[in-house]
Amino acid sequence: MKKEGFFDEFKKNKALFAMAAPAFILVLVMSYFPMSGLILAFKEYRYNLGVFGSPFNGLQNFGYLFSSGTGWLITRNTILYNLLNLITSQLFAVIIAIFITEIHAKYFKKVTQTVILLPYFISWVVVGVFVFSIFNYETGLINSVIQTFGGEKVNFYMMPMAWPVIICAFNAWKWTGYNSVIYIAAVTGVDGEINEAAAIDGATIFQRIRYITLPSIRPTLVTMILLQVGRILRGDFEMFYQIVGNNGQLFNATDVIDTYVFRSLITNPDIGMTAAATFYQSVLCFAIIIDRQHDREEDRRRLRAVLKKEGKKLWQRMTKI
Amino acid sequence: MAKNDKDMMESAPRKIKLSASSKAFYVICYGIVLLVAVVCLIPFLLLLSGSVTAEQWISFHGFSLIPGEFSLEAYGIIFKTPERILRAYGVSIFITAAGTLLGLLLTTMTAYVISRKDFKYRNWLSFFFYFTTLFNGGMVSTYIFYIQYLHLKDNMLALILPGMFNVFYLLIMRTFVNNVPFSLIESAKLDGAGEWRILFTIVIPLLKSGLATIGLFLALGYWNDWYNAMLYMSTETKYPLQYMLYSIQQQTQALSRIAAQAGIQVQNLPSNSLKLAMAVVATGPIVIVYPFVQKYFIAGITIGSVKG
Amino acid sequence: MKKRLLATLLAAAMGLSLLTGCGGGSSSGGGSGEAGTVDTSKEVELVMYVISDRPAGQDIVDENLNKLLKEKLNCTLKINWIGWAEYAQKYPLLFSSGEAFDMAYCAGWLGFSNLARRGAFMELDTMLQQYAPDNYALQSETALAQATVDGHLYAVPTLLPTYTTYGAIYRGDIAAEAGITDTIDTFEEVEQYCDYIVANHPEMEAINEYSSGPETSLVWTRSNGLYDIDANLRFLFYDPSAEHPTVTPLYDLEGATDFYKRMKEWCDKGYWSKSALADTDSQKTQNGKAGLTFHNIDTWSGYTVQQPDWDFKYGTMTKDVAHLPFTQDCMVISNTSKNPERALALWNLITTDQEVYDAFYYGIEGTTYELNDQGQFTILDMDLYSTNAMWAARTMELNRNQAGVPEEYDTIREGWEQTIKDGVGTEKFTGFVLDTTNITTEVAACTNAKQQYGWPLELGYTDDVEASIEEYRQAMKAAGIDKVVEECQKQLDAYIESLGQ
Repeated sequence: MKKEGFFDEFKKNKALFAMAAPAFILVLVMSYFPMSGLILAFKEYRYNLGVFGSPFNGLQNFGYLFSSGTGWLITRNTILYNLLNLITSQLFAVIIAIFITEIHAKYFKKVTQTVILLPYFISWVVVGVFVFSIFNYETGLINSVIQTFGGEKVNFYMMPMAWPVIICAFNAWKWTGYNSVIYIAAVTGVDGEINEAAAIDGATIFQRIRYITLPSIRPTLVTMILLQVGRILRGDFEMFYQIVGNNGQLFNATDVIDTYVFRSLITNPDIGMTAAATFYQSVLCFAIIIDRQHDREEDRRRLRAVLKKEGKKLWQRMTKI
Repeated sequence: MAKNDKDMMESAPRKIKLSASSKAFYVICYGIVLLVAVVCLIPFLLLLSGSVTAEQWISFHGFSLIPGEFSLEAYGIIFKTPERILRAYGVSIFITAAGTLLGLLLTTMTAYVISRKDFKYRNWLSFFFYFTTLFNGGMVSTYIFYIQYLHLKDNMLALILPGMFNVFYLLIMRTFVNNVPFSLIESAKLDGAGEWRILFTIVIPLLKSGLATIGLFLALGYWNDWYNAMLYMSTETKYPLQYMLYSIQQQTQALSRIAAQAGIQVQNLPSNSLKLAMAVVATGPIVIVYPFVQKYFIAGITIGSVKG
Repeated sequence: MKKRLLATLLAAAMGLSLLTGCGGGSSSGGGSGEAGTVDTSKEVELVMYVISDRPAGQDIVDENLNKLLKEKLNCTLKINWIGWAEYAQKYPLLFSSGEAFDMAYCAGWLGFSNLARRGAFMELDTMLQQYAPDNYALQSETALAQATVDGHLYAVPTLLPTYTTYGAIYRGDIAAEAGITDTIDTFEEVEQYCDYIVANHPEMEAINEYSSGPETSLVWTRSNGLYDIDANLRFLFYDPSAEHPTVTPLYDLEGATDFYKRMKEWCDKGYWSKSALADTDSQKTQNGKAGLTFHNIDTWSGYTVQQPDWDFKYGTMTKDVAHLPFTQDCMVISNTSKNPERALALWNLITTDQEVYDAFYYGIEGTTYELNDQGQFTILDMDLYSTNAMWAARTMELNRNQAGVPEEYDTIREGWEQTIKDGVGTEKFTGFVLDTTNITTEVAACTNAKQQYGWPLELGYTDDVEASIEEYRQAMKAAGIDKVVEECQKQLDAYIESLGQ
């Protein structure tokens, strides 16, 4: 068989090329071109010389990330928080999506669907204010309750280990509604007739969820997870900064790359050092994903094969995620 | 028509007798959804109540569901110069509408292309887009590039272009496009339909739920974006609402951070109630509009599903 | 390394000689100085960046100002605002984008020397004198030395001196209630006052501490006559009165352990919240929720206007008062400016012409402010326009006091002016500008370690003070404090040597 070149393909699918062209150009210009600026990570930036004229200074800009052993700690924290947040927020979103689609009371359904999207609109600054009024030692909500019942007050701001839980809970709170929108769309996208037929055939609600609903969610879930993994080294800066603030005692448990960079450079902004942090995050992300890339294609293929068969095996796979 | 479809969907399962375990499921299901709804609603109510509470009261007693000392002062300050807020609403609505429409078009076209199994470069193209989630130029070089080469400083395009296309939306959209049977496209081709016609007359009508979902996300993204406005806008008449909200909410912290070093006397910092009132003003429209949009949203999903 | 140091030294020396040379010339030419040297035949629009949130009433203020400027300099001024919420991200980017603008507010806390060293600004070596002669005539040698980096003048410093003092801002009414008649300006008196509040005003915190970090170590060092090497490095201190001052980390200073122990005592007594570092409310004292704030005299004067009934008082807790660097507030000309001459002429006008200054700083009389018979100003509507953004323009002569500020404000400051002697004590070091080029990495890491370990210690959030100090010390060592100390010491010694010549 003759191998087709780019131009043959172009001739054959002119329309498809034209359809993809706007997005291609947009991404090329808006995302790829600025990547050339990452070279700043290896330069001592001079304002009058510009990005390309500034002198190189080797790996000096990366030094502060790794001095005093913090580099490892913040990298670990960033990855762990992202994994934890990924699992909880997606899990909750799936559960809520399934529940909401199973609800048939019209107004209840409508109202709850609107209400769970509300946290998405509350900025982290405001969340930060709330967090303080819940957890502070003197007048915080929890401590007031404890005191009323005669218990001993808890100083949350001296308990580093409590904060991963708190942060994770707030993250889930904020994103569950937003993420569930996608899953609700995916679930409702299932052919209504199938569901009906299954119900008439005497399938229990659990069987329907297992064999019809969950499989329909799966491709979306896989996509969502893949995308989140791509951001595994980027912390939601606002969230950490507003919830934890400047509480040094919590840093070992709560510091992520973005907060560390912000704190280190706030008094002495350095463009080269900021670029170094971005570069580090990107490269590490890339390394992690490249490593997983094979699994991904495998995963897809397997998924497609399985979707054609009955759903039983799928359920077993689902539980493994 | 949509109503009929929905009624059918919703009434169908009720006809089936519920087993004991199914009943238990529904109890748990309703219970948990209700609980989650309450957890999501309470902070919002606190926000509402805080925005109409006198500042001194908040300072001493914290937040409460019922305003301790009623005061509309914060709203008074915001609407003292109503044209500012109205203009900001205008900017937000404009970028949201324009961006969402363009974004939907771009996303759908691209998703259609990369879902076409007979398109040779689909994997290559997908990776081209996916790569940007892993690697990016970072704030500094992106900023320099946008301003020096694209001249986006104080240009409305700076609010629209960056959020228009997103790999996340693209891949979600692709899962929707993948649900459209390939046979449909092939038979249309045999009938002599061109790609554009196939996309707009056959595929897009089947994508309503996808369009509704991605449209919602695009709209939310544009409505909530303050970051691009912060970096690129310098004329006040071009500020979107969220950016005004952001600067009001953040300035206290930033100021107190530098107050120690600078010999500056800071006079009127925004109060907590002002921050909350601004949040209400910026979020309110969406919360009011969303249920109406949701109606079409759900209708869209149902229609799409019945046909697909 | 050695070569670079030599270069800086040389440059510093050159800068100094340059200044002394010019300084003499200017005083003679200053009187006749006219803005007439600028060609004003073409109308231009000048663009200025300032840090602050744009006041709601800025449009009318601009209109009024531009009318004046058109008449006097044939130019208009467009002010671009960088808000408080975004300055940290946006300001360093401003100079990198190549955007054409003429001038910008700058300050020590915005990284003036760092930016200057990296070529962000236009050098003004001869231009300042030529195009802003009246302003130049009012500049002190110290101020110009501070604005000189690597041998070039990069900024127009403020003409209004600010001071290194830190002190206790406290409620006069409560002090009277507690029977404290003496001004509260020692740690013992602070304790007495706070004990009274803890015992009698449970609704209040005694000392206002919040998330931007404690001020206690600064008060402690200042009251012992020690001074920080740089406003961005407030973990290194030296004794300006010593013949050979040694740069020492805070925790290694004499009496540091006792200080930290005392802070733990204060914390245990409940002087401040146990969650202070998470509390973003910085206005507790103004709102009556806290009894005392450690801060500067300008903050105090602000409080007195805001809450006249509470009789706010100020107790200076600084042993040896000096001027803060005059680059604390300054105006820089951008590298991309197309009309630097006109920009300087404009700045000259703003800082030396009362009419223009009033229009620029206070707005429109009768609309945004009014004056009483002593020439003190009152802001008419804080939400419309307040004098929040233009500090760099302030001058001794043109600045007005706010109505309602107690007379002590002036008397205290006059008192300081009298004690300050050029080249003695802390004042000797106001011309010292630290160059962190060689230690950027270590400084960033130390800043971070200070927040993580130093702040909790200063607020007494620790069970075992000595163990925590050791932990702090180790963290700083790992962050490279030794190299920072060495570099600072080297530069400080070089500075002292340069003074001796």
